[in-house]
Amino acid sequence: MASRHRFLLDGEEHNVVVAESDGRITVAIDDDDPLEVDATTSGLPGLFSLLIDGQPSTSYVSRRGAGFEVTTAGRRFEVEAASSSKGSRGPVGGLEDPLGKITAPLGGTVIEVHVAVGDTIEVGQALLVIEAMKMQNEVQAPHAGTITSVLFNQGERVDQKGDLMIEYDPAEDES
Amino acid sequence: MLKRVLLANRGEIALRVQRTCRELGIETVAVYSDADRNALHVRNADAAVHIGPGPATESYLVIEKIIDAAKQTGADAIHPGYGFLSENAAFADACEEAGIIFIGPPASAMQALGDKISARKLMEEAGVPVVPGANDIDADDVATATKEAERIGLPLLVKAAAGGGGRGIRLVESMDELETAMRASGREAETSFGNATIFLEKYVEPARHIEVQLIADNHGNVRTYGERECSVQRRHQKLLEEAPSVAVTPEIRAQLCEAAANVAKSAGYRNAGTVEFLMDASGTFYFLEMNARLQVEHPVTELVYGVDLVAQQLAVAAGEAFEDGDESPQPVGWSIECRINGENPFHNFAPSLGVVEHVEAPLGPGTRFDSMLFDGLDVPIFYDSMLGKLIVWAETRDDAVKRMRRALNDLVIAGIQTNIPFHLALLDHPDFISGEISTSWLESHFKMPEMPADDPRQRDALVVAALAAEMARANGHDAVASAPISGWQRSSRATAVHLRTRDGGLRGWHRGIASS
Repeated sequence: MASRHRFLLDGEEHNVVVAESDGRITVAIDDDDPLEVDATTSGLPGLFSLLIDGQPSTSYVSRRGAGFEVTTAGRRFEVEAASSSKGSRGPVGGLEDPLGKITAPLGGTVIEVHVAVGDTIEVGQALLVIEAMKMQNEVQAPHAGTITSVLFNQGERVDQKGDLMIEYDPAEDES
Repeated sequence: MLKRVLLANRGEIALRVQRTCRELGIETVAVYSDADRNALHVRNADAAVHIGPGPATESYLVIEKIIDAAKQTGADAIHPGYGFLSENAAFADACEEAGIIFIGPPASAMQALGDKISARKLMEEAGVPVVPGANDIDADDVATATKEAERIGLPLLVKAAAGGGGRGIRLVESMDELETAMRASGREAETSFGNATIFLEKYVEPARHIEVQLIADNHGNVRTYGERECSVQRRHQKLLEEAPSVAVTPEIRAQLCEAAANVAKSAGYRNAGTVEFLMDASGTFYFLEMNARLQVEHPVTELVYGVDLVAQQLAVAAGEAFEDGDESPQPVGWSIECRINGENPFHNFAPSLGVVEHVEAPLGPGTRFDSMLFDGLDVPIFYDSMLGKLIVWAETRDDAVKRMRRALNDLVIAGIQTNIPFHLALLDHPDFISGEISTSWLESHFKMPEMPADDPRQRDALVVAALAAEMARANGHDAVASAPISGWQRSSRATAVHLRTRDGGLRGWHRGIASS
């Protein structure tokens, strides 16, 4: 399974997709090739030892509101949750989509579909899973609402990022 | 031999002195304010005495409280460290009256060196070169001042006789500025120190700040330990020191040491002290002032001379005489010290305080870290921003610079911003590498580089943040420490710390402040 995080770092937004399969973790940042990551934590909360594509690094992480502060190799970074700076939208999935539509975060194959027309959905709910480059990417609901159309079936191919996948009626109380 | 020493100080210097005491089998007594209850110097002592609230004026600077603490715990000597009461003649007297050994110079020597004009006169009599100038001028006596200024030459400085900390100092670059400068300096001195007497001094620029370490026993012997180069300064605060200095030849060193020894002898000095000199590009040097204490930067001298200055201080205080030997030994190798401060070099060095969540001290060959840091330290707001001192030794200056770079990169301090990036940038500056620096160099020639926009470490930060978020979601709770709210920001830090340890019990203690 894969999940997507949106962060604000040094003034720029980044899309970070974490995927795990067969006990191996890959992390893809924006449009870069996925990195193979071996991460261990010690008894001290927040202290991570990483091997990123075999390259060791140590980082100390602590929570700062909705984001994190990361100290690594002599530098401190404020990694904010991108949503908190934008305010109105949910933390996961389809953040750049217009309200009522969900597009593909990347091209690939739809391997799971969890919703059907008429279903009510909540923020962060898993809608479908796209597999690409042996990584599974979960598409989550950016808003609560009711599904009005699902344009892909299990096993169908998504040509590219931005293809319309799902339409929904946004719930009134969700701004 | 002393049995029990009270440390009238806090932070890294209290720990530094405790370590030597422990090695020598001398017991230590710590004093602490509310804000320092959890500090390492308290945990590390054989006895600890509470001396009041956080502000130093209500704790570390109150002579009666320190003396009472010494009496109460049966301390036979007091080590003042640096700052606080270390150069307070009344404190040295109070110790003597209470029958407690003050580990430092006698009050009379402090007084002789404390007043700038009397110190200048003393040095002139002892044949120690002083900056050309004119003493004892009334702030209203423009005629005398003008005559003297013409003799000394411009530019010059107008200084207050009783001044200190940069107050009452005015730069005069043309004769028509003299009268205004005298009035301003005299007025400032009158208000601050109740004494409007001024003096004139030639302005030596560009100049290096070169200082000589010495120690005098109670039997008239003075031993000098060469020079330290302390020209890297911002707003008169030293940031990086080294020993020896690239600008000091063995010949100049011999002259400096002789002059420093004369200063100590003429003032009846005892124990460790530092004589500060200004040195111009030609190697001509002038007496500036004497610091009657152990200094922050003493470790660089210890490393190039293979000496424990605190052990020497304790021996001298116990009345021991120096054994016969070289009175002016030569340095071996090179040592550099970086002061690690809680400040943000990317935001005009604004103070950065809060909870230090995680610390990893650099280790390895030639590496020393004198520090008050520990995981969970809530840096008190009442004292200065220095968290510790990173000191390295290597065979040559080049090697020492490389070692310091490595050690700075190994030093991890998470939770607050430090000036480590500043030191790394400084070590890479061509002027620093060539040693072409003066006391005004940092402020006039050094610019902190911007944070690199395309930093490869950003990748690591994003990966870790995503994994931390992932683990939080999977476990239903955070795998990482929450940002600890500084207790001080809530109300009184000390109260908060006590509440935490009480409420958290053993578990709270083990997990530290970060668990709240």
